[in-house]
Amino acid sequence: MKKGNGGITVRQKHSAYAKEDNIWGYLFISMAVIVFCVFTMYPIVNACIISMQKYNPIQSKWVGLDNYNGLLTDKLFFKSIRNTVVYTVLTVPVNIAISFILAILIFPFKKWMQTTFKAIYYLPAVASGVSLSVVWLWIYSSLPSGLFNQLIGIFGLESQNWLGQSKTAMFSLVLMSWLSSHGTNVIIYIAALLGIPKDHFEAAEIDSATFFQKVHYIVLPMVKPTTLFLFVTGIISSFQVFMNAYLMTAGGPDNNTTMVGLLIFNNAFKYSEFGKASAQALILAVAIAVISLLQFKFMGDEIEY
Amino acid sequence: MKKHVNLLSLVLVMIMAATMLNGCGKEATPTVNSSAAPSSIAPEEPDTIKALLPPISNQFIERLDKVQAAFHKQYPNLTLVIEAASWNDRIEKLDTQVNAGTPPDIAFLGSELIAKYVNMGVAMNITKYATADMISDYDAAPLKYMKNGDGLYGLPAYMEIHGIGGNKEYMEAAGIDWKKIQTKGWTFEEFDAAVKKGAGVKGANSTSKYGLVFATAGTTTKNFIEIFAKNAGMPSEFNSDIKYVYTSKKFLNVLTSASKLIADGANMNATAGERWNLFLTGQTMFTGKGLATFESSAKANNAKLKAKDGSAVAGSVPVDYVVMPVPTSNGASPAYYSVVDGYVTFRGKTAPTEVHMKNVVKASYFLASGENAAQTNADLFAVNITKTARDAESKYPIEREADNLASVKYLMANAAPARPEIPSDKQAKGTKIMDEVIIPKFQALLAKEISPQTMYDAVYEAAVAAFGKDGIVKD
Amino acid sequence: MGLYNDYNNNIKLRCLRNGLILLPLSLFAVATLFPIYFMVISSFAAPVEAGAASHLLWPTKWTLDSYIFFFNYSKYSTRWLMNSLIASTAVTFSNVVFASMTGYAFSKIRFRGNKLLFNILLCAMMIPYQVTQVPLYILIVNTFHMQNTYAALIFPSSVSVYNIFLCKQFMSSIPNEIIESAKIEGCTQLNIFYRIIMPLSKTVMAVVAITTFMSNWNTFFWPFLVTSKMEMQTIQVGLKNFSFANSTYFAPMMAGATIAAVPMFVLFFSMQKYFLEGVTVGAVKG
Repeated sequence: MKKGNGGITVRQKHSAYAKEDNIWGYLFISMAVIVFCVFTMYPIVNACIISMQKYNPIQSKWVGLDNYNGLLTDKLFFKSIRNTVVYTVLTVPVNIAISFILAILIFPFKKWMQTTFKAIYYLPAVASGVSLSVVWLWIYSSLPSGLFNQLIGIFGLESQNWLGQSKTAMFSLVLMSWLSSHGTNVIIYIAALLGIPKDHFEAAEIDSATFFQKVHYIVLPMVKPTTLFLFVTGIISSFQVFMNAYLMTAGGPDNNTTMVGLLIFNNAFKYSEFGKASAQALILAVAIAVISLLQFKFMGDEIEY
Repeated sequence: MKKHVNLLSLVLVMIMAATMLNGCGKEATPTVNSSAAPSSIAPEEPDTIKALLPPISNQFIERLDKVQAAFHKQYPNLTLVIEAASWNDRIEKLDTQVNAGTPPDIAFLGSELIAKYVNMGVAMNITKYATADMISDYDAAPLKYMKNGDGLYGLPAYMEIHGIGGNKEYMEAAGIDWKKIQTKGWTFEEFDAAVKKGAGVKGANSTSKYGLVFATAGTTTKNFIEIFAKNAGMPSEFNSDIKYVYTSKKFLNVLTSASKLIADGANMNATAGERWNLFLTGQTMFTGKGLATFESSAKANNAKLKAKDGSAVAGSVPVDYVVMPVPTSNGASPAYYSVVDGYVTFRGKTAPTEVHMKNVVKASYFLASGENAAQTNADLFAVNITKTARDAESKYPIEREADNLASVKYLMANAAPARPEIPSDKQAKGTKIMDEVIIPKFQALLAKEISPQTMYDAVYEAAVAAFGKDGIVKD
Repeated sequence: MGLYNDYNNNIKLRCLRNGLILLPLSLFAVATLFPIYFMVISSFAAPVEAGAASHLLWPTKWTLDSYIFFFNYSKYSTRWLMNSLIASTAVTFSNVVFASMTGYAFSKIRFRGNKLLFNILLCAMMIPYQVTQVPLYILIVNTFHMQNTYAALIFPSSVSVYNIFLCKQFMSSIPNEIIESAKIEGCTQLNIFYRIIMPLSKTVMAVVAITTFMSNWNTFFWPFLVTSKMEMQTIQVGLKNFSFANSTYFAPMMAGATIAAVPMFVLFFSMQKYFLEGVTVGAVKG
């Protein structure tokens, strides 16, 4: 065993560090954990309890797993899960890919141009959701005066009822997602790209690597932690989103654009079946957790130098 | 960097400390509802009443302070605290508060929601606490809407009848005797014929494109079913034997009439904004649904067109809005769909005291009658439903065509009656079928993806599942 | 940036390549910008109801009436902006400091329960807000009586798991050798954090600042729930008051939304310098 300073063995030093690290670790996370326990954990535990009750503000009744059993036979619940999965699969990977491509494309330009583009992509995030949905409602309007209908009118096609028809409703929502709010993801990717050390690229150039090779062998692996982050958070939020969809299609023709979030919302507030809503929410959470676990397994290995 | 971080943390700590101190100071006065077991409170003791109100009319929010002050002047020991909420979200906020066990004392709601809260046990029956004078001030029909079972759960603010809006110029050019129809009603066949004539009518400044534009997009889908079904011999979701009526062939008839209108040139895909825009730009003869207050909007736009100041709606023409009744079908007598919104009273987890309830009723009555009601209803072009408000009417004159006023009175006289005796759990099931089956399928029907028969079968199936084979109408 | 060939010898080729890249970037920019353009343009129209509003690409009559309408609408209009500013700034500061500390701890400090705790935090993100809303409301309003306070607006979101996760991912790519060598020199974790981690994480901290400020600024429902007095409402809640039963004052709503968007622009541009340079992690190899 090597002797370090003052006769302390390395192993002893390591365990001393370990103990000290424990304390520091807990200290650093203390604030976050406190806030988490009070404002997040406590309501979640409450929600779990409520999911096993027929909840009423004055007097709740304990019903065990009845709420969950009811869901297994609920056709609308399964339909909404299917819709949500379709929406997620169509939007999350594509959005992340678009953000990545945009982030890379911004790089060759001078600083002022980079800033301009970054600001432009960031903008939709800045506008409030309500005003954005008003604009998109006009774009998708079924009247010939709606923007999309005017566009396809140039090609001689008939005006479509974008949001009211089953064959176009879901796609309209997906397209709306593709074209808006990449700003945050672009910024995150740019931050990640900035963290790639230049010497990697210099080494690659010595080996005369092409652009695509550089991207494939250097950039993509180096931004993997970021990509994993965007996938996990993207799927979490996509599974829960419903408000914008609801404003646009009100659940779509024949419940074809009804998302799980909307059902939870309706059960909690419209029908005041709070217990049932909590049960649905927990099932949704479990589904998301399983998917996230899979993602961590595929993409989660840490990058060490 | 270290200096910056230190400064940052210092500022942060200061902000957090400041907010905590601030927070302690700004605590709202706890109301009687949240206190422990209620003991006797003398009637003259100070009491606070909380009300959750949306902007009932465009000018309502501006008047909040004055209303609160006037109430305090009338009852010096009582304070009315009005919480303003946006129209679309107040239900969610109210429901969060209800589920938490601490709802406001009064909330402004549509009367159709009363059943839901009675079901939960949080709606407060005020029959015992309202004085005879208060009750007799109200017209019987709207008051009945605020009842459920034997109890009265609030006081109504106005009764708005949904109709169809007509363009006077086009109707005359198409030879429609609108004056007669306004006070006598018409059948669906007559309406359909008029809609057919409605496309391509030439006016002084414009030509109509559609016979009818009815808003059904997004959250307005419910409107068509509600207002047409009522006049098709189904004035309520349940008949006098408390059986569900949308399984009868009359409902199928309503669905086929929707398809027929589309086939005859009506546009049934518009949003609420579009249906009004198309009316103002002279592109349609009829617009639905039509509310009495649209008349004032049309007049306002006409004035802007006259002033030629460029602020009128682009492409709009002068239009005269005419109130038209919804047509009847199946030979039924008219039962016009009425919306009664009112001030509904609530209780929380702890039962409120008698004295507090009496005070809550005083506040509701203050808001729902006399000057306050007259002023709000004048904003909305709604007819007053209390004697005291009618007395105060002259202070808030509105410019309304006599014909339209006569029509509104005819509509109110033939409004669909309230059915408080329907048990609230059945009402809840009916609402669920409406939301989960009828509305989604109707959206598909409007998109021509399913036939009326398919939709009718789906509704039938859902009704049987909810009410059993004996709980529905079969004909 | 070494990713792209500098083409120092062949300026024409470089311009051609840049031009080709510019095309999709600009197309996307136009598509993205359009709703914003529309929102700003509509704010200069007259304050009329939505149904009566004409959706034009270029207004026939330019007026600041809608802005005036917005400020006159309620004596609290400016107060709403202030409240949003205070709440969002506090939440942003809190997140930047504590999320980075927590992210660092989870990614680099080895302590007992590291992985387990992080997984619990992550799973909590997956529960939809609708069902945690009521218990949280009961906690804040009924138990703590914190309604209508800045604390109620700030504390629940003072450290978000999203930010912790983000910081952890970014900090995981900081080489361990730097940290080890600092420890050998006798630095405590706190020192390491101040002197090494924070400078290297300027970029991600700027990202946290921008995204947190923005999401908190835009959030509607929670402030709506916990504030009953108009003077404590935030700008998003106030904007919604323009929706009435059957009409919406479209132009003033857009005016308010445009005004509400300005602080975020200011923040974005002031954070720019953190985005333009890489932070050389390679310094350790030296």
